[in-house]
Amino acid sequence: MLKRDWFLGLIVSLAFAAATLYGVPFLQNMERLAYDTGVKLTPSDAAATKEIAIVAIDDDSIEEIGRWPWPRKILADMITQLSEAGAKVIGLQIFLSEPQTDPGLTYFRELREFMGKTEFPPEAAPQVFKIKEFINRVEQDLDADNRLAEAIPNAGNVLMPMFFNVQVPLGNPDADPPEFIQRNRLSKIVIRPDVNGTPRETDKIELAPLAVFGNQTAGIGHLNLFPDVDGAIRRESLVLKHYEDYYPSLTLLLAARSLNLEAKDITVYLGESVKLGRLLINTDADMGMLTGFYSAEGDEEAFSIYSFHHVRAGTLDASAFKDKIVLIGPTAKGVGSTRVTPVSSNMSDAELTANVIASIRNQHFYIEPAWTKSAAVGIFVAVALYLMFVLPNLGAALAAIVSLSLFLGLLGAEQYMLIDKKVWLQTVPPALLLLVGHIALTTKRFFATERQKKSVETDSAQTNRMLGLSFQGQGQFDMAMDKFRRLPVDKSVLELIYNLALDFERKRQFNKAVSAYDYILEHDPKFKDTNERKQRGETLEHTITLGDRHMTPGGTLILDGVDQKPTLGRYEVEKELGKGAMGTVYLGRDPKINRVVAIKTMALSDEFEEEELAKAKDRFFREAETAGRLSHPNIVTIYDAGEEHDLAYIAMEFLHGKDLTHLIKSQGRLSEAWVLDLIVKVADALDYAHKQDVVHRDIKPANIMYDEKSKSIKVTDFGIARITASSRTRTGVILGTPSYMSPEQLAGKKVDGRSDLFSLGVMMYELLCGEQPFGGESMAALMFQIANNKHPDITRLCPDLSPGVGPIIDRLLEKDVEKRFQTGGELKGAIINCMNSTVQSG
Amino acid sequence: MADLAIAGSTDPGMIRPNNEDRISTTPELGLAVVADGMGGHQAGEVASGMAVDVVTRHLINVFSRDTPPADEEVADQSSAELRAVGEAIALANTAIFELAKSSPNCSGMGTTVVVTLFHEDKVCIGHVGDSRLYRYRSDTLELITEDHSLVQELVARGLITAEEARNSVNKNLVTRALGIEPTVESQLTEQTLQDQDIYLLCSDGLNDVLPDDVTAQLLKDHGSDLQAAADRLVAQVNARGGPDNVSIVLVRTGDQFLRDKKEIAKLSKESNG
Repeated sequence: MLKRDWFLGLIVSLAFAAATLYGVPFLQNMERLAYDTGVKLTPSDAAATKEIAIVAIDDDSIEEIGRWPWPRKILADMITQLSEAGAKVIGLQIFLSEPQTDPGLTYFRELREFMGKTEFPPEAAPQVFKIKEFINRVEQDLDADNRLAEAIPNAGNVLMPMFFNVQVPLGNPDADPPEFIQRNRLSKIVIRPDVNGTPRETDKIELAPLAVFGNQTAGIGHLNLFPDVDGAIRRESLVLKHYEDYYPSLTLLLAARSLNLEAKDITVYLGESVKLGRLLINTDADMGMLTGFYSAEGDEEAFSIYSFHHVRAGTLDASAFKDKIVLIGPTAKGVGSTRVTPVSSNMSDAELTANVIASIRNQHFYIEPAWTKSAAVGIFVAVALYLMFVLPNLGAALAAIVSLSLFLGLLGAEQYMLIDKKVWLQTVPPALLLLVGHIALTTKRFFATERQKKSVETDSAQTNRMLGLSFQGQGQFDMAMDKFRRLPVDKSVLELIYNLALDFERKRQFNKAVSAYDYILEHDPKFKDTNERKQRGETLEHTITLGDRHMTPGGTLILDGVDQKPTLGRYEVEKELGKGAMGTVYLGRDPKINRVVAIKTMALSDEFEEEELAKAKDRFFREAETAGRLSHPNIVTIYDAGEEHDLAYIAMEFLHGKDLTHLIKSQGRLSEAWVLDLIVKVADALDYAHKQDVVHRDIKPANIMYDEKSKSIKVTDFGIARITASSRTRTGVILGTPSYMSPEQLAGKKVDGRSDLFSLGVMMYELLCGEQPFGGESMAALMFQIANNKHPDITRLCPDLSPGVGPIIDRLLEKDVEKRFQTGGELKGAIINCMNSTVQSG
Repeated sequence: MADLAIAGSTDPGMIRPNNEDRISTTPELGLAVVADGMGGHQAGEVASGMAVDVVTRHLINVFSRDTPPADEEVADQSSAELRAVGEAIALANTAIFELAKSSPNCSGMGTTVVVTLFHEDKVCIGHVGDSRLYRYRSDTLELITEDHSLVQELVARGLITAEEARNSVNKNLVTRALGIEPTVESQLTEQTLQDQDIYLLCSDGLNDVLPDDVTAQLLKDHGSDLQAAADRLVAQVNARGGPDNVSIVLVRTGDQFLRDKKEIAKLSKESNG
């Protein structure tokens, strides 16, 4: 199953789907990397950050003012100073949850008590008054909390943080939160029936401002942060739920306040959005906003950050804080904590708060609408389908291009959606699926090719085995043995050969059985009873050899290893000359007159069924007789015809030369004079034969013999084409290509001598210019050409030919028999004329 | 899953003493093969026997492998099954050619072959020579294959009329056959099955003697019993003189054919000894 590409695609996809659903960290981290990139690439709106200023309690300030925590008087002074500078709203990033008491104050309080109780002499009254006044002043100076508690209401626009313990409450609270906290409750809560969602729940207020401050402050919001899976801060929970109440975040309150709105003016659509005046902030189900972040531009921070001690020293232009949202918070090392955000790996709380507020006020946040989830699933499925059904059908290069473009397209789509549409569409999992799937499938393909290479090898073993069995099944044991020998030897192969050896024995071919047994013993000397069988086979082989091996039933003479020469009729057979159209040709000798002959044999019983055999024999001898009547210097003489051992034969003149195909092969074009001379001779021979009503039917270079020594030219195989053709009335194959056949012969019509002249024309054409007049890639194309197309003009191919030759060729190759030369004599005359005129003109 | 019904019949005819046709049916594989051998002295039988045997064995091997024929990259979009049929025919050609070359008894032998391999909702068809495949669908008998014969080529090129073709002395000359040349080009096609199609594979002993309309009528009357239909076709041919060997395989299909892996494994075991 795994071998199927689509199945592998499915497996990878399912694994990926599971990994995505279970939130495997790697996938989530990669997705967040893409998200952070998009956030970073979102162009910042410079104006958006101008509304906010940060007063940083930085390292410089601590060095200047002293160790943190500072006396709250300093903070109080700062608030007063900022308020006077016209700050719109002041957000503290410091939890004022514990009272700050100067140790000296206690002593002064004790001292004042003592002074109150003690009677002093009246004359000491002015001194005592002075002391009391001093004590009062010291007390006031040292009581920083009090100073701060006074500075806050004076400013009237100071907001403070609190911190919830995030935990779904199990019961009721220990006590209701103090009134100054409850004041910040959000009262406009809208629950949409079709929206599920609730803010994160809390069970305890962990850090709240002291009542002295809380009572005076303009608002308190939570400063809880909710890091993402990788610890980075990407969302701001705008609203938290505390039992039945909903509390805003400090950022939300600050934003509201900067728009002159109160907590009561904020509307919460649960699980959907927060409405702030005209601002609608879309959130996720638990009221989290995907914060937009503002990157620093060059050296310039995104927000104006002023060192606390610079502000305190008053060296800054007071207008820096006019109508601004001013955040006071620590940035110094060891004082405040830093956060990882999409744009920075160490952002102070104050900067984070500034980013969130700017996001809210400018609506620079991202959303994840419900459709993105279905879209992500859709994309995932599409990628899976691509892997399963498209990729397997693509070539390697194309697949790489398509996959890469899809991969980049998916990542690009996420960036585009984030930057342009402010929508977070999670395409990283499908993109990674694409990558992994592609690699998996190409790897698989690679291994599959490797394996295939191997399987081709085993394949050929399997094929050899199969063919061997097939040959054995058809009784072709020699071929079977040949195939089995090629197999890598193992037990099963020896078994195959053993069975084959038994078959050899059954056919009484003991020598072959023995050699098969030898082969087995070579590899396994103890294989079954091979040894005994081999020995028995050897004995039997020797007794058989004495039998008659001169002639096999197949009609083939066996000439090797026999003392006495085999005979056919009265001829002694000397050797095999080759294979002819009908059968083997032998060199024979008539011992009586010591004449060397060529003997063409034909196994008539092979070619004809019994019923037809008698008729076929008749025809054979008739044809042989007809051909034998021909006596012409350019026709091979037939001496004799006979029959022996089911083998019909014709004994004919043995020629020393070779046929014309050899000449064509070695020389290509032949000289015109030589060819014309040859054609005249052949034409004369044909004229003679045609007059005897003998049609050759197979005029071609292979049937014209040429002896270089005697310069003799002889046409051979007269009428033999007829004998062979007649034997193939049943299904047969055209052997060779019918390049020299006439159109009427191809169509199966009755042919006469003029057909031979057409064939002679084809041959003449070829001899003269080295190319055949008709060609074609297939037999059908060739046949079509012969039947329909005019041959290429020979005078154009070979311009050096005598002028008379072209017309002769054209006339020989006429499709219409009536337009050809009608007899060989006519042709001969035309050529002689042509030669004479050449001589005269030349 | 619908099974195939397969029936076959082969007969030497009334004139010839021996049968050079071979048929092979492998219902488990959805395979039917008909081959018509040629060449003297029993070589024709060897050629046709080799053809059906090699094709059948090769396809059994292919389908018993764990890996179905790999979806290697091929230029044409032909299915793996069809390619396997092509391979099988090519392999048979090589085997017969080798044998013809090496064994004097077999020299010059050759054979036609027509192969149908049913696979899912398809039938893969391969053929060489003038053995034919017909399809009988909705009372109509249609010739699917085109003979590789001299007359067919001449008729196709308009050189002679169909009438002349029937009377041509070269009627039985094929232009392509297995075992004649080192390679052979087989005609490979694929068609979609319909329920109750009947496929008729035959050697030229059938279509030379029985006109197509007679064959169609016989399938119409007796198509419900394939064996009876096949036997009747042979009887009809012999009644008309039976001049040649005649072979018929009939396959009736459902709208698809699925093979049983276990059966194939068993077949493979038997075929590989």
